[in-house]
Amino acid sequence: MEIEIQLTNSPIPSQVPPPMAEHGAWVEFRGVVRGTENGAGIAALEYEAYAPMAEKEIRRLLSEISTAQPCIAARVIHRLGVIPVGETAIYVGVAGKHRAEAFALVTEFMDRLKQDVPIWKRRAIPLTACADPTPANASIVTHTQPATVDETIALIHECCTAIEPEGVPLTEARGRTLREPVVAPEDQPPFDRSSVDGFAVRLDDPSKSFRIVDRIRAGDWKPRKLQAGEAVQIATGGALPSDGLQVVMKEDVRVTGDTLHIEERDRERNIRFRGEDACAGSELVGVGTKLSSGALALLASIGHTQPLVTRRPRVLHVATGNEIVSPEQTPQIGQIRDSNTSLVRAFMQSRGITPRQIRVGEDRAAIDSALRAPHSAFDLLLISGGASVGEHDFTRALLADLGYTLRISRTTTRPGKPLIFATRGNAVAFGLPGNPLAHFVCLNLYVSAALLGLSGGLEQSGFMTGELADDFASEANARETLWPARLNFIAGTAQLTLLPWRSSGDLTSLATANALVRIRSGCGKLTRGTRLDFVSTEP
Amino acid sequence: MRVLFFAQLKDATGCASVDLPASSPLDAEQLWAALLNQFPNLATHRRTVRLAKNSEYATAETKFVEGDEVALIPPVSGG
Repeated sequence: MEIEIQLTNSPIPSQVPPPMAEHGAWVEFRGVVRGTENGAGIAALEYEAYAPMAEKEIRRLLSEISTAQPCIAARVIHRLGVIPVGETAIYVGVAGKHRAEAFALVTEFMDRLKQDVPIWKRRAIPLTACADPTPANASIVTHTQPATVDETIALIHECCTAIEPEGVPLTEARGRTLREPVVAPEDQPPFDRSSVDGFAVRLDDPSKSFRIVDRIRAGDWKPRKLQAGEAVQIATGGALPSDGLQVVMKEDVRVTGDTLHIEERDRERNIRFRGEDACAGSELVGVGTKLSSGALALLASIGHTQPLVTRRPRVLHVATGNEIVSPEQTPQIGQIRDSNTSLVRAFMQSRGITPRQIRVGEDRAAIDSALRAPHSAFDLLLISGGASVGEHDFTRALLADLGYTLRISRTTTRPGKPLIFATRGNAVAFGLPGNPLAHFVCLNLYVSAALLGLSGGLEQSGFMTGELADDFASEANARETLWPARLNFIAGTAQLTLLPWRSSGDLTSLATANALVRIRSGCGKLTRGTRLDFVSTEP
Repeated sequence: MRVLFFAQLKDATGCASVDLPASSPLDAEQLWAALLNQFPNLATHRRTVRLAKNSEYATAETKFVEGDEVALIPPVSGG
């Protein structure tokens, strides 16, 4: 019988081709990770194998069983590492002349695999707080009155629950949110190692001169018991040959031929001891961590090559409006170029998300046909409309027709007062007022809060505090305002220069803005040095 | 000889493998004695663990010699 075996860290394809050999039956079986393990909900299972032996055993089993159940070909694929719920852990495909022996072979093989093949479910990865499949936001309040910035962000956090996780290779994991605790598989460092270039001698050996009996470089593994009067030359990072040693730095010794003379010896052992950084089983990176380059290096160092992270959200952005034309076109009188599509795209791309984008006129039939098919597959729907009351109502009606529940239809803060926020199960939607500055504000405050919620991340969000760099004269604000600003760090403090803007259609200030400053209502002239809340818009 | 640990045995020993000096061939009993000396935590697992030598399950007669790759196989749970 022809046998093909694969042990892989990658997902098993949803279609595996049948063998070339002529056959009358092709029986396939997939073992899929279930959502519960020992009665508790889980997000994934982690598998481990003794690969060379597992392959040998699978081959032996298939050959043995096929003497009683003669078949033509068999293919076994077992996935290893973290496998999310619902994905295939094992695939078995058997080709036979007739179905009876092919079915029998698969059945017997699966029974015996679970007895003899050295593959283990290493651990179950529990569901993290947010992965509840039933929408938790049924009881969430809806703001009938205009909401403040704080109320809006709080409501968004309440409504946005983490989308499901997936296992990805390290090359795709930067910036993603970890959804499993990563623990040390063995002690770190895994052996006692020298922290200096020097000579290892017995701690209890008071001699002044020693015979050099060996040399250990980093990467060598040369266990031996040192006798009194013996020393081993050892490089930084080299594995100590036994317990009970001290490494004397090479700066404190003199070497003549094979003889070592110690000129100065203190009590410092110059050893990084096994388990000093972390003991086997201790947590190295926690759930909800956004994976930095440093965290990825740590994961690589322990062989954790398929971390379980939140799937990237699927984002659909629809720019509506009869007055907008694409940036390549020359607008007619009364028309403007569409800048929001570029703004949304750049905002999403800086967060590793590629949105699907559609530009349509304000024609209900056109929007419907653009939205009907794909909207259900998206986690986040953004609709850029105009600022007028008519357009606002249009977006509200559209979201209601699509089955969304309206949560917020106005804020008290400008720009961005006509914000719409709606939910449908675990999916969320925003109706963004069409002018560019309002877009900039709504993306950086509200949509970014939603993305954090969808990611399951635990990082701190919200406002930081900085100082006003120059006096700022303005009429008393009747409303809370978010003001585009240039943020610089000078002598360790965040210095904020407010940028001029007259209307929320004003784009010129956005070119230099990298922050938004919150100016409370009723606030008139502000003097240099005033402490102000801000959010950075360049993460 | 190199001795490999898998699954929960990694937690018990704190490592994935260890080099065990074997100046003369060891039988299973002697191998276990040497391992338990170094890793007393393995004692509770001994009853359920099978030994393998060079990727094949060991039998009662198997001798383990220098240069062998030995694996401690706890109860498997693949599929």
